[in-house]
Amino acid sequence: MANELAMAMADLDEEKVQALVKAGLAGGVDPSALLNECREGMTLIGQRFETGEYYLSDLIMAGEIFKTAAADLAAQGGSSGPTKGKVVMGTVKGDIHDIGKDIVVTMLRGANYEVTDLGVDVPPAKFIEAVKETGAPVLGMSGLLTISFDPMKETVAALQAAGLRGRVKVMIGGGPVSEQVREYVGADALGVDAQAAVALAGQWLAA
Amino acid sequence: MLIIAEKLNGTLKKTAAAIAARDVAFVQDLALRQVAAGAAYIDVNAGTAPAREPDDLVWLVDTVQEVTETPLCLDSANPAAIQAGLARVKRPPMINSISGERNRIEGVLPLVAGNAAGVIALLLDDNGIPKDVEGRMVVARRLLDLTRAAGIADKDVYVDPLAIAVSTKQDGALVALDTMRALRAEAPEVRFSVGLSNISFGLPIRKVVNRAFLTLALQAGLDAAIMDPLDDSLYSEMLAAEMVLGRDRFCRKYTSAFRANRIVA
Repeated sequence: MANELAMAMADLDEEKVQALVKAGLAGGVDPSALLNECREGMTLIGQRFETGEYYLSDLIMAGEIFKTAAADLAAQGGSSGPTKGKVVMGTVKGDIHDIGKDIVVTMLRGANYEVTDLGVDVPPAKFIEAVKETGAPVLGMSGLLTISFDPMKETVAALQAAGLRGRVKVMIGGGPVSEQVREYVGADALGVDAQAAVALAGQWLAA
Repeated sequence: MLIIAEKLNGTLKKTAAAIAARDVAFVQDLALRQVAAGAAYIDVNAGTAPAREPDDLVWLVDTVQEVTETPLCLDSANPAAIQAGLARVKRPPMINSISGERNRIEGVLPLVAGNAAGVIALLLDDNGIPKDVEGRMVVARRLLDLTRAAGIADKDVYVDPLAIAVSTKQDGALVALDTMRALRAEAPEVRFSVGLSNISFGLPIRKVVNRAFLTLALQAGLDAAIMDPLDDSLYSEMLAAEMVLGRDRFCRKYTSAFRANRIVA
């Protein structure tokens, strides 16, 4: 059962979240426990978005509240223990759309994944470098333009050429991305929204 | 205000299916309904993978031109698709779009002069979308230097100040509106166009948000919008706002639209 802090987070009650975090810390509650409660709230928020109760502006606000609370708790030594795994994310070369990608990053971080966010207009070589450096087994690429498909395909090909394709699962997302595009690009899966991306990461990293 | 009709866009599910199936009747019906509803240009965007896009766009262009004289707005980020479309148009089209990004400057800008009636110019560059008015003005000045050097008159440049979805940026509309006012003061001939529905992305009952933004943008000097002319409530709002702003002589457009049953509360 979600407790008061998780519910305040889920209800986007910014002041209450801050007050409960402050009161919890003052009362000697383990910062890591408080952080996990915030994460529980984020999971509920994702579900509410999925069912249509919450809107994009709610997700953005959730990201802000969570970021502030997580920073305060981390400063007090709060940690959720080992993360669920590493994910590299970015919007592909030639495309500077960031909204969708940012939401996926926020939701993944909320769900306790360690995300390397490469930003927008990311060339294939930069994706490969990050995958190598972090050892992340999941790569997510976002693109909102039809000209985003080729850079996605090039990145998958570059993973192959670098001998990394076997150990890295690739997910793609963005407005014009479809099952046909997934096939063209050679990605493993298509995520229609941020919840789908979190579910895919969960599926792949649990295996 | 010019309506650039938005529905023949392959990123919309029904249109995508029609393009894939080469459904002539669907495309021609949608084109004609948008024309009847007041479209000055019909936007055509194939929305398919780069290798297919030129062929798909040519099919759209040919199919629409079989039934209407209304000019087209060739919509793609892919220079090859724009070029293929240009080779088929019977009337000078609008080109959608250029921006300060290198690939658009090199690939699309050279296609505009002598071929198009106008070009939509997005205020972003390889560094992304500038956050504030001053940053967008820097991109606008650079773009206008380039369009002028290419022989394109300012009156044929439709600057899109880029309204960012208010669900993600609280001042997403304000920056666009203030940019329009600032640029008009500097380059009065330049026109303004927006992709109207972007503003309401991620929000419930988007039509209400679109209407509010259209009215405010008209006051800031909007000349054109990529929008749905079949949305009667939006069309009504547009005519009412133009009338209130003193752009409808003897209220004729508004009253004529009412007689044609186009005005809804």
